[in-house]
Amino acid sequence: MTNIWEIGTDIGGTFTDIIAIRRDTSETRIAKVPSRAHAPVQAMLEAIEAVGLRKSDVKRFIHGTTRITNAIVEERLPKVALIATKGFEDVLEIGRYRRRDLYRLDIVPKAKSLVPRELCFALNERMTHDGRVLQALEEVEIERLVTWLKGTSAQSVAVSLLHAYANPAHEKMLAERLKDVVPYVSLSHEVNAEAREYERTSSTVFNAAAMPIAVEYLSELEERLPLGAGLQVFHSAGAMIPISAVKRRPLVMAMSGPAAGVSASVSIARQLGKSRVLTFDMGGTTTDVCLIVDGQAEMTDGKLLADRPLRQPMLAVHSIGAGGGSIVRAGAGGLTVGPESAGSEPGPACYGRGGNEPTITDANALLGYLNPATKLGDRIGIDLEAAAHAVQPIADRLGLSLMETALGIIKVANATMARALRRVTVERGIDGRDCTLLAFGGGGPMHAAGLADLYGITEIVVPAASSAFSALGCLTADFSFLQQQTLRAPLDGIDLAKVSERIHAMVALTLEPLLANGIAKSSIEVDLVALMRYAAQADAIPVPFTLPLDPDFLREQFLKKHRELFGYATTEPCVIESVRVQARQPSTTQVGRPGIDTRRTEFVPRKCSFDNAHDVMTDVIDRGTMSAVITGPAIIEDAWSTVVVPPGWQAAPDAGGNLYMTRVAA
Amino acid sequence: MKLDPFAVEVIRHGLSAAAEEMSLVMTRSARSPLLREAGDLSSAITDAQGELVGQGRDIPVHLGAMAYTVSETLKRVPASTLKEGDVLIYNVAELGGNHLNDVKVVRPVFFEGEIVAFAVSLAHWPDIGGFWPGSYYAKAIDTFQEALRIPPIRVATAAGISDAVVQFLKANVRDPESCEGDLLGQIACTLAGEKRIIELCKVHGRDMFVATLSRLHDLSEAEMREAILALPDGVYEGEDFMDDGGPGDEPARIHVKIIIKGDEATFDLSGSCDRVSNFCNTTLFIARSAVAYSARIMSGREMQQNGGALRPLNIITRPGSILDPGLTAPVAAGNHETSLRIVDAIFLAMKDVIPERLSSGGATTSGMISFAEPRADGSWKMLYEVHAGGEGARHNRIGCSATRVHLTNTSNTPAEMIEANYNILVEKQAIRWGSGGGGKYHGGDGVVRSYRVLAPSMHLTSSVERKVIAPFGLHGGLPGKTARLTLSRGGETTEIDGKSNLVLQQDDLVTIEMCGGGGFGPEV
Repeated sequence: MTNIWEIGTDIGGTFTDIIAIRRDTSETRIAKVPSRAHAPVQAMLEAIEAVGLRKSDVKRFIHGTTRITNAIVEERLPKVALIATKGFEDVLEIGRYRRRDLYRLDIVPKAKSLVPRELCFALNERMTHDGRVLQALEEVEIERLVTWLKGTSAQSVAVSLLHAYANPAHEKMLAERLKDVVPYVSLSHEVNAEAREYERTSSTVFNAAAMPIAVEYLSELEERLPLGAGLQVFHSAGAMIPISAVKRRPLVMAMSGPAAGVSASVSIARQLGKSRVLTFDMGGTTTDVCLIVDGQAEMTDGKLLADRPLRQPMLAVHSIGAGGGSIVRAGAGGLTVGPESAGSEPGPACYGRGGNEPTITDANALLGYLNPATKLGDRIGIDLEAAAHAVQPIADRLGLSLMETALGIIKVANATMARALRRVTVERGIDGRDCTLLAFGGGGPMHAAGLADLYGITEIVVPAASSAFSALGCLTADFSFLQQQTLRAPLDGIDLAKVSERIHAMVALTLEPLLANGIAKSSIEVDLVALMRYAAQADAIPVPFTLPLDPDFLREQFLKKHRELFGYATTEPCVIESVRVQARQPSTTQVGRPGIDTRRTEFVPRKCSFDNAHDVMTDVIDRGTMSAVITGPAIIEDAWSTVVVPPGWQAAPDAGGNLYMTRVAA
Repeated sequence: MKLDPFAVEVIRHGLSAAAEEMSLVMTRSARSPLLREAGDLSSAITDAQGELVGQGRDIPVHLGAMAYTVSETLKRVPASTLKEGDVLIYNVAELGGNHLNDVKVVRPVFFEGEIVAFAVSLAHWPDIGGFWPGSYYAKAIDTFQEALRIPPIRVATAAGISDAVVQFLKANVRDPESCEGDLLGQIACTLAGEKRIIELCKVHGRDMFVATLSRLHDLSEAEMREAILALPDGVYEGEDFMDDGGPGDEPARIHVKIIIKGDEATFDLSGSCDRVSNFCNTTLFIARSAVAYSARIMSGREMQQNGGALRPLNIITRPGSILDPGLTAPVAAGNHETSLRIVDAIFLAMKDVIPERLSSGGATTSGMISFAEPRADGSWKMLYEVHAGGEGARHNRIGCSATRVHLTNTSNTPAEMIEANYNILVEKQAIRWGSGGGGKYHGGDGVVRSYRVLAPSMHLTSSVERKVIAPFGLHGGLPGKTARLTLSRGGETTEIDGKSNLVLQQDDLVTIEMCGGGGFGPEV
């Protein structure tokens, strides 16, 4: 039975999740092992052992990781040199001028430049916005740069020249000349071919900083797990990408982990036939949400990472700094949750590892939602006394009982989550109340019903394998590849032949890696999206289309979407800003119901509190064996997750192990 | 009515989220680079009485003035005359105005037939008519020369957007096409606010919603009173100066006397100089906005910025002074120059009392220069750019470079966007290294930016302060370098006045060097 297993892993800050599916029988195995910050590859190999497999059993190994993101957020980055057009070398220090908080002088107003001044080089050359050479890049200038670079200790180089998106000739010249001088070079027109010098430079520097980390780690992985083309990384845009491509553009895995969770959600949404789904992935320190419409996750062109812009097509996952470990504070101005977090060390007070600040998890523990007999990851028990001790001062300040306070904390936490849900829906002009809430991650299934009540959502799905859902996404995502190019073509008087030719060329380029993997062209679906705006606007709206290109259709669809989003449309001229092409082979991976957990504890009823129902003796149900509809109040547990079914809600399992939660008819 | 403290928090979140969503809608649908790139706009929600209850993460000076934008208007346009679907537009000084370029679009939000709130959108129009393209006239003798004055007019009713009003506005501005798109964006933005407010009312019920708004005021008031009570009682005076415009065009004095007594604070600004001879006067509401911001900093506390936070503050201005110059005085630049000087004066007054909550003098000027280029059809293309200087140092850290401070928070327009949209070449965009003042902690550095004119001619406006009087250091820290503004033409470089209107020629190079922040503590 060798060489028939496919494995997905998600390497998080605390745990590495693994899910293995046997190709022929769909047998599914899940495990969690502690992550190892300094030996991530070792942790992955241990995870393979934890599901009872050997390296030789593995056919495909796809992983999502927050390694790059964490390195950026924690600023543990290699030394990067920045080459910029003379006169613009301070671009990172300047940024966009704005400070992050309006009324706080105590915090530093802007993120500092990732490249110190002495590593910024001013290069004599200049392009114009329409791609003409204003000042040529001379050979002696390149030599001056090479000499300077040799005198620095830079491990990686970011090249971001003015208007390189319009004419990359100078950047390409440098790449050619620098390839023997420094091991890693990132070019701005490759990383982010768009106008706005600060955003493009910031993205390029991120990529340059990620390169040495990614190459070292991926090379070790290739060496210790030699699967050839079977070794893949999960892309921020929700697709797979071969290791060789990641080494050049490691930034594509910046949102790898969350994107994998969303991809798993996309599969479930399609499988269950849900047209509008909101994903709700609540972890220890962050919560990620994303909108899925008609089986497609929304995409975005960028986000802020550690307060710095990162521009590249990615799944529109909105992350907020609130999770189970978020610290709760009470002031005269009200009760606030986060953004400070107790993290995994020391963790919430109830973990009994030295944390004494009240957190969301402590409130959940006090309400009885966490099983006091369970050990999280075989290490962490639940200390209710510590939780009570941490929350009591807030209760005192508000003049409420401990239970009322804990319920209130959950309510406020849910309001923060609701804001995130709103954010991703309103950006697309969609009413979130029409969506199904797909809850996963450690906290998602615990908070889902309360959040749904607050937001007006009437249906929740807690997917099978909800605690290792991102790892699952690595396996169930479509095999897909993506391209986005800036076109900036006015719709009036559009040169149809020229633009069509360009789109056809993009399609061919996007199909290439799929065809190279031996996938039949007939089984590949190609999705085309035009990003459109009025000529005078900056932000573009996605408009799906098909070939042959029909300008009237595009205009009509753009006006319709603009009206949906902003309530009006005008007859102004429109522009196709860019075109996005995605080629995909729909996923065929079948997931079995995960095996019954052997370490399960006793499922005895315990006292829980809900809104208007305090200290209710509540049934605790084994998720692995439940088969009938459960009416709340109830707690549904497996080894890794807890689903809270409050009074007024019910939960029903389907054959695949997914739980449907709906309100009980009154 | 007994309020659930957690529902209060949920509604508070909902209000901020609604205001943030309004700004997002505005930015995404706007046409003018000033709005879509630089973000010179703000969104707010007020209660039915017009008191501020929710605001976006926008521009503090706008938000401070918007605290009065609706309440003052309701005195002239009674709420009883407003109908569902009405949208008002106006910009005049007396209705919580700051300067004429900042046009307010206000929508009453009805629930179950009654007004429960107002959704307010403020956007800086790149041009709104008047003597000079861009509507900033440094030597204006009155506001009539500055720009079009709009009293509250219904730009939309339940029947739809009023074409007559839109045509009237378009006929009076120099870039009518982008103006229309921006205006539609503002209306869309208030619509988004309305939608969210109605949702909040549906979820929580109207009575709970209304009672909560009132409770939010009380919470901020209590927080502000507690903060003032913690300050030592006393009288604290501070002053700082505008570069010019005072008697004989000497520096113009801004003076504050702060009286802390129990849990109330009086900010008496009457010692400030008389109305000045340029566009640096302010409306009353700008003075109040500057005090509201400063009081929040003085409190050192987190609170929701709303009408309640203003209650313990007594703000006095002297009619006829630069800060209370009457309803027809020119105020275009006072909005972002003089307002900041009030903050400076207040910081100087409090420097020995709460040094750890303050910062040394920062780049308290917008550093604004604008370029207007005529099109063949007689309309104009407007580029309005503010520039960041150094932040003042603090007791425990250096000042940040290239940062907008205090009441301001607009962004730059990227050089690549400027070059793609205007006949301008940005030749340099750098840090002015060493411009921050020395000290135990040094001030932040300003920026340098050079603009080469590629068009046959352009109309330039400047609104740059701190060219003469440097941002101050505190407790032994040195002042930052003053700002410079120069014109290079045919090999010769001359200074440009910080408050001027002039016509540029092709190949002219305009360079602004922004001031640095002051240092904190003596250099070791």
